[in-house]
Amino acid sequence: MAISIVLSGVAIGCIYALIGITYNVMFSASRVFSFTAGTLGMLGGVLGSLFIARIGMPFAAGFLLALAGGAVLGIVTEIVAVRPVLKRLDQHLYVLSTLALALMVQQFTAIKWGTDARPFPRLFDLARGGFDQQFWLPMVACAAVIVGLELLYRRTLIGRAFVAIAEDTYAARALGLPERSLRMTSFALAGLIGALAGFAGGEMLLAFFGNAPLLTFYGFIPVALGGMGNNRGAVVAGLLLGLFQQTANFLVGGIFASVAVFTVFIVVLLVHPEGLVGATLQRRV
Amino acid sequence: MSLTRRQALKSAAAVAASGFAKPAIAANEPIRVGYLPALTGPSSSTGIGITRGAELAVKEINDAGGVNGRMIELVTRDTQSDPTKAVNAAAELVNQQHVDVIFGPLNSGESLAVVPQLARMKMPQMHPCWVDSLTDPKKYPMCFRDAPTNQQIGGAANRYVVKVLNKKKVAVISDTTGYGTASVNAYVPMLKSMGAEVVYQGNIDAANPDLKPELLRMQSAGAEAIMPWSVNAGFLSRIINTRGDMGWDVPIVGQTTLGSGQTQALLENAEYWAKVYPNNFRSCCFDAHGKLPERTTAFVERLQKAKIDMGDTLLWWIALGYDGPRMVADAVKNGGGTKPEELVAYWNHLKNFPGVYGDISFTPDQHNGYPDDEVVMCKANSLKGGAFNLAPGYSA
Repeated sequence: MAISIVLSGVAIGCIYALIGITYNVMFSASRVFSFTAGTLGMLGGVLGSLFIARIGMPFAAGFLLALAGGAVLGIVTEIVAVRPVLKRLDQHLYVLSTLALALMVQQFTAIKWGTDARPFPRLFDLARGGFDQQFWLPMVACAAVIVGLELLYRRTLIGRAFVAIAEDTYAARALGLPERSLRMTSFALAGLIGALAGFAGGEMLLAFFGNAPLLTFYGFIPVALGGMGNNRGAVVAGLLLGLFQQTANFLVGGIFASVAVFTVFIVVLLVHPEGLVGATLQRRV
Repeated sequence: MSLTRRQALKSAAAVAASGFAKPAIAANEPIRVGYLPALTGPSSSTGIGITRGAELAVKEINDAGGVNGRMIELVTRDTQSDPTKAVNAAAELVNQQHVDVIFGPLNSGESLAVVPQLARMKMPQMHPCWVDSLTDPKKYPMCFRDAPTNQQIGGAANRYVVKVLNKKKVAVISDTTGYGTASVNAYVPMLKSMGAEVVYQGNIDAANPDLKPELLRMQSAGAEAIMPWSVNAGFLSRIINTRGDMGWDVPIVGQTTLGSGQTQALLENAEYWAKVYPNNFRSCCFDAHGKLPERTTAFVERLQKAKIDMGDTLLWWIALGYDGPRMVADAVKNGGGTKPEELVAYWNHLKNFPGVYGDISFTPDQHNGYPDDEVVMCKANSLKGGAFNLAPGYSA
């Protein structure tokens, strides 16, 4: 029983963490919390199911196209919902145009894909068991993203440019870094990570348009708890959230589990407004 | 007294308006049946299935010469699964199309909005929606239901679990929708009154991706049967899949969606569909010898002759649709005409109308016409040509 809670808790936690990272990657480049993060997750599952199960593409092609779909939505988010707002305001934490875009994509998916949950294909022909692929796939995806981002940010020039933009937009701009291109690339990267989250969690979450609001809300909690822009914090908080949610599901069950999750979330933020891992922002004077 | 030219013209116009010719026109004019199916949107699978039956009935009646020489005209408006559009369509059918009677809407969400509206408009209405409050002879004296109520649906499932399967410890769960929570609240006391013990009761977020903790709690509470009340195929399939993964040999008994194609598509293993018993109707189920009731067999032959596809829908939907226009035709033929009071007066004393879906009877105080014993449970994994096998334990 404990193993079951840990396995599914960590797997779901990994999906939440990936959505949290999606928020963070977009936030770092633009100082905008884009509400399309959960929609990107939903789209990863739907596109994966569309390409592999419905159209019958090979796994690799379906996977790459699903990720490409996420990247495209990331770029569209930047062009349509973020750039016009940032032109007028240099900093705007929550941009409602991203929420509008997220709702539009969600409704479009409901119309074209349908309002019923549809199956996500089983990717590897492995026997079912305790440590099923629906559990380990999100874990592998999460680990790959963490390692990939570390390498990108520490070992590559473009990664360092991302960090520079995130640290101080004005200084980076003054040094001649192409802020707009970097922001658009960041949104493409975030789209890719969000779609990967939905794709890896497809067997658990199914290909369902209603996953968008679920992931938007539950993916935001790791960001709030882990500190805005802090990927490590998002991973730790995401895993804790998944484990706590599954434990609450078992101990109290039903809708009370959701109540328990949000109660703890509120209490933690009251005690640590900057999040569990985040540092208080210092104002430069 | 002299008659002026103006008075003469007025009199002639009045005679023409009141019309000697009118009875002849009325005798030939079509019986206009307003029909409100959801042909697009999330509820469209039901609407499309029911429409196949309704259109066949109208064609058969008209091909046979109509009702006392009058053809039936189905004036269809797609509600798009949207209660607001259903309300607008109902208003248009009454005010602009001047229909004689309305059949539909076909789902409860739309009917909750349309039934009070048609009652205010004094329009006779027949609908097949299950929510209990959708008939009330006092509030809606012109509204009739030719299908079971939720009480009958839950009652049949409860009877099957307690009396046929002889399971006394039951887990009753639902999603968090209004339908789900209302069903749990209604069916739990019913189960208790039948001597069952509800060892687990809960409303679960249908979006919860892992239901294993819930099923483990049911198992440790000693549940011998699970009764989920939801129309969400994703939620229901997760329950079935989790039960299968756990290797827990417990029957799942409940709503018709348990046997739907959408639920089937989400199963991890086809074998997991065994011991799943959704609601169905005796008239549209195969008995232990693989036979449908006589009336239904004849109906299926007519469907095949008319080349109506049954493979992608459910037989009881088509049968239900088929009965709607026939009940209108029966009322016009035997009740005297298409005036609202004539239709309502006839239906108020209807006794055993021989529908394919079931024998329908109404009284002035009871506008729920479907018989209790026609609501049964079936084997989810036995779908063949739109019909299921009766669940084990029913006599033929």
